[in-house]
This record gives sequence, C-alpha cells and structure tokens, in this order.
Amino acid sequence: MGQWIIAYTPLVDLFLLHLGFAYAQYIVLRAGVFSLATAGLAGIGAYTAGVLAVKLGAHPALGVAAATLAGSGAALVLSLPLARLRGVYQAIATVAFVQIVYSVNLWAEPVTGGAMGLNNIPRTAGTGVLAVAALGTLYLVWAMERTRLGRAFNAIRQDEAMAATLGVDIVRHQALAFALSGAIAGLFGALEAYHAYALDPGQFAFPFLIAILSYVILGGRNSVAGPLIGTAILIILPELARPLAENRMLIYGVMLILVINFLPRGIADSLILAWRARRLARPEPAAGEP
Amino acid sequence: MLAVEALALRYAGIRALRGVSLSVAEGETVALIGPNGAGKSSLLNAISGIVRPAAGRIRFDGRDITALPPWEIARMGLIQVPEGRQVFAEMTVLENLLTGRTALAGRAEIFSLDDVFAMFPILRERAGQLAGSLSGGQQQMLAIARGLMGAPRLLLLDEPSLGLAPLIVAQVFRALAGLKARGLTILLVEQNARQALAASDRALVLEQGRIVHHGPSAELARDPDVIAHYLGQGDTGAMTQQGGG
Repeated sequence: MGQWIIAYTPLVDLFLLHLGFAYAQYIVLRAGVFSLATAGLAGIGAYTAGVLAVKLGAHPALGVAAATLAGSGAALVLSLPLARLRGVYQAIATVAFVQIVYSVNLWAEPVTGGAMGLNNIPRTAGTGVLAVAALGTLYLVWAMERTRLGRAFNAIRQDEAMAATLGVDIVRHQALAFALSGAIAGLFGALEAYHAYALDPGQFAFPFLIAILSYVILGGRNSVAGPLIGTAILIILPELARPLAENRMLIYGVMLILVINFLPRGIADSLILAWRARRLARPEPAAGEP
Repeated sequence: MLAVEALALRYAGIRALRGVSLSVAEGETVALIGPNGAGKSSLLNAISGIVRPAAGRIRFDGRDITALPPWEIARMGLIQVPEGRQVFAEMTVLENLLTGRTALAGRAEIFSLDDVFAMFPILRERAGQLAGSLSGGQQQMLAIARGLMGAPRLLLLDEPSLGLAPLIVAQVFRALAGLKARGLTILLVEQNARQALAASDRALVLEQGRIVHHGPSAELARDPDVIAHYLGQGDTGAMTQQGGG
C-alpha cells in the first residue's frame, strides 16, 4: 500500500494542480466569456511566486498571496478590452495574451531566467497543500452554482441579450468571472512553482492552453463535475498506458476532435441531460419502446 | 411615463425606424400593431437598450435612457418580455423565475413567486423541470412570469401570441387582462391586431418604420383603413400576407 502511494504521488499531484487550472478555465467559459487566457494567468502567478521566493527569499504564503492577486489583477485589466469583443475574437485576443506572457517571461531574463528557466525554487507545496487548494476551489465553484451569482453567469452564457434585459449587468459579471478565474489560475500557478523546483516559460504556452481547454471540453462546460471528470480522464489515461504518455498532446488533440464531433456537451453534461430526459419520460412505462 | 421622440434606427444600412414618436401613460395598455418587418420589435429593442438608435430620444419617468445599457433600464422597472418564448432552456423553471428578480436591484417586488404561480399554475407544477422541456405556450407563460418577477413598472411585451395555438393565445391574453386590471402599464407589440386592439386602451399602427395610424383602440377597430389592412379576414394568417400593402 505504502509503495503504491509513493509510486502514484506524482500523478496525484499533477491531477490536483491541473484540476485547479481546469476550474479557472471553467469559470470564464461558464460566464459566457470565450477566454483562453488561463495559461497566461497561471504563468503570471507561477513567475510572481517563483521570483519572490528565489530572488527575495519571500515566505511561500506571501508568494501564493501575491500570485493570486497578480493573476486576478491581470485578468481584471484584460477584461476591459475583452468586454468589447465577443466569441472567437475573445479567443484570438486571449491566445495573443498567452503568447505575450510567454514572450515577456523569455525576454526578462535578469528576473525570470529567460529560456534557461527559473531554478532552485524551494519546494514548499506537497500533496497535502495541493489537495487543500483543489478541494477549496471545488467547494467554491460548487457553492457558487447555488447563488445568484452562479445563476447570473448561467443566464449570460445562455443568452446575453436576454440576461441584460432582465437586469443582469453583463460587463460587471464578466469582469468578476475573469477576476475569479485569474485568482484561481494565479494560485495554482504559484503552487506549481512551489511544487516543481523550476519553471520555464514554455510550460505556460500554447500546449498548456490546449491541455486546460481539453479538460473542460471533454468533461463538460456547464455542470460543476465536468472539469473534474475531464481532468481525471486526461491526466490518468496516458499514465495507464505508458507509451501513450509520450504522445500526450496527440491524444488531447484526437480526443478534442472526437468529443466536439460526437459529444459536444462533454461527458458530464451529456450524462446529466440523458438522466433528466429519462426522469421526464418516467410517467410512461419504461419498457416496451416502439 | 414613457416618451419616445423621433426615434430612428438602422440595421446594416436598412432604415428600420424613421422618426417614431409615442408615449405611454401610467396605467395604460398601449398596443403597437403592424405587419411583419414594420419595425415593431426594433422599436422595443431600442427602448430596452439592446440596440442603439441612430437618432431620437427615449425618456422613462422624465429621465433620458437613450444611452443607458439594457440592465440599467431593466433595473428602473422597464422590462421586456422577449419575442419567441425566449427562456433559459438549460435552467429550471424556478431558476428562470429567480433570474427575473435581478431587475429588482433593491426595489420592492410587485409580483411574488406565489403571485406568478397563481397566475400560471402550470409553472408551479413544472418548477423543477428544465425550461427547454416546456411546451411553447408554457415557455411563453414562463417568459411573462419571469418579467413580472423583476417588478415591472412598464412591461414591454413582444408578440406574446407568436406561434401559439388559439386556445393558448386566449389564455395568454386573459393573463394580460388580469395584469391590466392590477394597474400594470403595458406596451404590447402584436401582429394579431384583433386581440391586441381588444386588450388595449390605445393603439398605434407601424408600417415601414413609421406610425401611420394612432388613436383609442376601440376607434381604430372601426377605422375602415385599419379594418381593410389588419382586421379584414379575421384570422392572423391572412393579415400577415396583406402586411406589405
């Protein structure tokens, strides 16, 4: 048993970290913002925490707090120009943002270490810390679903104009969703920095963006369980068959194409809809379909 | 209460409204009738702030709301019930109704959850069901009920009878009569001119972006021109076809 736990700890840690990133992505999508900025916001958080620890010897708690603030601050600033864009234009603009964060991390070598990466970060975040952060995030998202705020996010996603005529302030809610998403991305970026000993700019670039998006698309964008299911499958699956792990990005790509074509709502949402449809049909005898 | 002055609106170069003026006084039900494409929905969308007019001014309670975002207009109590039974399909009936409360923004409610359930008992039965699984008529009732949850002082109703069976249309108009009796101010857009004139105090006829007739509904219902164009065959299908003339 002990051996088993030790053998699988890296996988559990990876899962917990990516679960956080998946929920950061989920929150903006649920509020109807087609933002792919999560990877860049995580990069800002990771480098904020990493630089504070390595260059200034700051306490990890301070690093985590600063990274969370930096993530949500950057997201808030980003939400201003994005409020004027919609749909695919938001996606393009936020991909550009991820690229800018990557370039800045590469360019600011005296601070970030550039292409050589930021090394010798003290490891202060173990499995326990990651688990607390992931569970906390999960609880936050789950609780939000049941509030007025969660309903407003749902309403905006389904029909923005209709939500607006019912009194839902679109600009304020989308900025809020962005700030929340940025805070979560920044927090888990910091945990990544304090977990992995080293950071390099490429970690938070385009492949990372695709990975985070895959978790949410595969799992489902609407129900709270969606990102959890998507992350679990995409993190664990390549590990079960070792040769697959080498081609993680290839698997994600194929999976995305299959899911978008055959299960566009993702696993969790499709299951919930099927279950609801069955419950509606129950008054009639279940057996004997024509 | 509501004053629209010389409103002009363009959609991709097409002039949807060409200088429309109208007013609605407190407690009144005003009907806006006219053929398909006359600009009726455009006018409502401009009033609720979804589209920006090219010229003209809209005042609500004396305050200029022409440039306000739609949510601020809704929070003042000017609430639109959108056309085509638009509900949040992936939310339950109850969640739809609670979302309607957003427009309260600190104002006192006028219609409670029990009030709207009493008005449309089917919504109470289906409260936990997804709105997308309701029938067309039930979705229309939900859209109206959701608007009422936001304490409207002026309710804008966009084609409440569109695509509904006659029996359901009668039910919807009975509900509107009930709202009118409670003193609610209503601006009703309808293609079904006969029903709209019967349900309103005053009416305006909009054609090609202009108001071509206006007056007390009872008078318009006797106007030979209006009869010829809008009440001729007595059923809605024939009216739509004559719309262009």
